[in-house]
Amino acid sequence: MRTPWRLRDYVFAAFMTIGMVIAVFIVGPFAPPGFQLLAWSPLAAIFLTLGMARLQRPGSIALIVLPLAVLLGLLSPLITLYLAVTVIVIEAVLYFLGSYRKRINRLIANVLFFASANLAGLLVLIYFSQGLISRIKDPKRADALTHVIQFINQPGTLILLTILAGVAGAVGWFLGELAIKQLQKAGKMDVDV
Amino acid sequence: MLTSKFAQPKPGLLSRINPLLKIGLCFLLIGFALALHRLEAIALLAGILLVLLVLSVRINLKVLGYAAIVLMLFVAFSSWLRDISTALTSALQLIAIVIPAPLLAGTTSPADLVRALQAIKLPRFMVLSLMLIWRFLPLIQQEAQRIIESNWLRGVNLARQPAHWFSGLFMPLIFRIVAYADDVTIGLETRGYDPTAPRSNSQPLKWRRTDSWFAAGAIGILALVGYIEWVA
Repeated sequence: MRTPWRLRDYVFAAFMTIGMVIAVFIVGPFAPPGFQLLAWSPLAAIFLTLGMARLQRPGSIALIVLPLAVLLGLLSPLITLYLAVTVIVIEAVLYFLGSYRKRINRLIANVLFFASANLAGLLVLIYFSQGLISRIKDPKRADALTHVIQFINQPGTLILLTILAGVAGAVGWFLGELAIKQLQKAGKMDVDV
Repeated sequence: MLTSKFAQPKPGLLSRINPLLKIGLCFLLIGFALALHRLEAIALLAGILLVLLVLSVRINLKVLGYAAIVLMLFVAFSSWLRDISTALTSALQLIAIVIPAPLLAGTTSPADLVRALQAIKLPRFMVLSLMLIWRFLPLIQQEAQRIIESNWLRGVNLARQPAHWFSGLFMPLIFRIVAYADDVTIGLETRGYDPTAPRSNSQPLKWRRTDSWFAAGAIGILALVGYIEWVA
């Protein structure tokens, strides 16, 4: 089968995936529980931006994220499915906008990816919390958790947290573009961006 | 090509087992662990997996300590939500769900993994990506650790100064990652590697007698765990 990708593209995409995974290890110990994804977003977005800038063609995000999705499938096939769906949606949107050569398209892809990841994570939390609350014996504790979930479950809160994740993705995009400039100055990014 | 001592599994029984069998068993164990609810059954499964992990995989003490702290926090939080028995059950269930993946990773060499992934007809780019992630993740993690230590030597504690994360940690790390990517590409190209070309295999995957014994043992243990959970 003929493919537009070259060996260097596959290797670069795999190393950007490694960068995204390393960001999890770096952020994990410092981020408060429940905010890991928000803390991870700007750092992971740096590698996603670098990958898009170097690979440029539609399908770049799929090359970077799908291996990660397969690896995380060892923890839960749900993660694989959800990441695969997110990638398909983003690639479909970017198919109409053009390649990742334009900065604005890289920004849109980052914002879309992290906002949708955060929203899906919150919806999964809300879904599974119903079962957890029903198993809590102490009514006071059940009430406390119910209030937290009710707070998250409000459309306003969901929208606010999703916007925050999108902003985190945008911050990561900005840092990623700074990194691209540094790499270009050092002669390590020989592509026109 | 650059290699890592972390990429080589500790020699032992599990490293000789058919990797496809291990991948299948990994999914089966995770599914089984999710279905269990009795403390005794989960304790047996988690105990066996822990023993196998300690015997078969080189474990970093720092990682072990961090995992123990996270687990204790998890038990404390679960006890607050319900009771100690449920908290222990949940913690053991978490162990049984989490251990199969590192057990598989720690006892499978990259070459065996590639053979297994090729055998299940994954797309070739996916096989290459997974192989690179498997082999280079520990190396890049080591690079990150070195950069963090270099910052310490210059009086920058990154844990307390997140403002320095980008310039002090991520920029040098990005340069290292890009350098690794270029080196690996050159290494693969000079060896004539083509991700789209069909590949030959000097050691195709085979089902050996030890695999049959291992599969029978695994089924026996799962049957015992299932008996404790649903019959006893």
